[in-house]
Amino acid sequence: MSIEFNKVGYIYSEKTPFEYAALHDVDLKFSEGKVTAIIGATGSGKSTLVQHLNALLLPSSGKLNILNFEIVAKQKATNLKALRSHVGLVFQFPEYQLFEETILKDLCFGPKNFGATEEEAQEKAIRALKLVGLDQSYLEKSPLDLSGGQKRRVAIAGILAMDPDVLVLDEPTAGLDPQGAIAMMSLFKELNQKFGKTVLVVTHDMEHVLNYCDEVVVMKKGEVYSHTTVHEFFKDTTYLDELHILPPSVVRFRQMLNERGFHLPNDCYDMKTLCALIAKEVKNHG
Amino acid sequence: MKQIEVKNLDFSYDEQTHAVKNVSFSIEKGSYTTIIGHNGSGKSTIAKLMIGLLEKNSGEIFVDGLPLTLENLQEIRNKVGIVFQNPDNQFIGSTVRDDIAFGLENHCVEPEKMDEIINEFAKKVNMVEFLDSEPTKLSGGQKQRVAIAGVLAMAPEIMIFDESTSMLDPQGKNEINEVIRELHAKTKMTLVSITHDIEEVTKSDFVIVMNNGQIVMSGKPEEIMMREKELLKSNLDLPFSLKIIKELEKNKIKLNKSVTLEGLVDELCQLNSTK
Repeated sequence: MSIEFNKVGYIYSEKTPFEYAALHDVDLKFSEGKVTAIIGATGSGKSTLVQHLNALLLPSSGKLNILNFEIVAKQKATNLKALRSHVGLVFQFPEYQLFEETILKDLCFGPKNFGATEEEAQEKAIRALKLVGLDQSYLEKSPLDLSGGQKRRVAIAGILAMDPDVLVLDEPTAGLDPQGAIAMMSLFKELNQKFGKTVLVVTHDMEHVLNYCDEVVVMKKGEVYSHTTVHEFFKDTTYLDELHILPPSVVRFRQMLNERGFHLPNDCYDMKTLCALIAKEVKNHG
Repeated sequence: MKQIEVKNLDFSYDEQTHAVKNVSFSIEKGSYTTIIGHNGSGKSTIAKLMIGLLEKNSGEIFVDGLPLTLENLQEIRNKVGIVFQNPDNQFIGSTVRDDIAFGLENHCVEPEKMDEIINEFAKKVNMVEFLDSEPTKLSGGQKQRVAIAGVLAMAPEIMIFDESTSMLDPQGKNEINEVIRELHAKTKMTLVSITHDIEEVTKSDFVIVMNNGQIVMSGKPEEIMMREKELLKSNLDLPFSLKIIKELEKNKIKLNKSVTLEGLVDELCQLNSTK
């Protein structure tokens, strides 16, 4: 079982005047049972990359191995439905995946589509809605009447209701308020730790990368630029500058202090520990 | 001078969803106001009410002293540009160029000048090489750039941004915010930005905090951002600097309250050298 890209390329609108190559020869192996962040500038191919994971996009060249499934460019893919029951994808714009009259029906759609009975589907729907922090009063509302952030929660619940092994989230916290974003990222982390789900999350938020992810994949112009552990990634700030990435606040704060005469260790990512060390240094100075 | 004045505004989508409850505020001409609040707190609803996309239950809205009524709607909309949360909802043209041109045509810009304006704004948001692309084929962040360029090109007196940089990478966000701030300084347009970005709030002149359809606090960011209990109660995060101040306090280091990291660093360095 693995999630592996082998020389995968993808071209939008191939053989038309709008032809555009979004991925070039991507070689990438995601670690199972981990939370991996996928970062990079807008237009670097992040969304294109993740849409391959449940075969929403099929590669123009190369080969994909996802769990027990193999997808080869230019060959007819089979068994996609089974693959999609194992890999759940939440889009960048969640309103595109909401379509039913009520939230309950919307949440039941996935489980029923994959063979659950009406009662099983409802049970899963209610559980998923609770996971994303919405109470049962929402069940009979129309998903289209919700605010942007609430729609996003419902879209995420729709995927959770299917109970997939691999959760793929394309900017799941864009448009969520800060507490909502924290709650959502904690939920993904918990699903990972308690149930061993593999989580792949596209994000621009370096605080989330630092606090909730194990590994980081950096995309640049349709290619994989680097793939490291999170702690390794934030250690070298010159590398981050090169990538035009603003480090998380705690890293920035530490760096600013060290530039002005403090001696704080550069593998300290915890705010509490860092503050204790700062206090110690200030007191010792006297 | 007040450019926007909202008095006792009330709105509900249906019997269950009372989205805006008796909200009053005013926005000074040429100022930069941020509106923050949890999801569903009524921020976007207020924006839509201000341009008459939704019809209020009761209350009054004045733009430049003009009451927002059916008769004045067109005149008011000519003054106000808005960029929505999801840029897909505002694309019309089949290419990026056409899309930016659409707004200009509506504002009766002379065709000779149009090309120049389109190029200027596409350049500002770094999308020149995509002028002949289809907007729908762009990435989420690129779409947001185009939507922003389209509205800025019309040079409205009042600009409303509804989380319109939420899908940009941090550097892209900084670039676009810089462009917006530059234009704001140059043209003295009135800027209203709905955001979740605390960093952005610290750069505005005035902040309005919404919770459950009501305004719970408003004022200067450096004051509002230090009101820890109320922020948490409104489901908002504390600025990083405040978290550091609290943590250092536990370690018996007392600092003045500063919203910026730079301010904190200065103070700590002073402590470290003078003792």
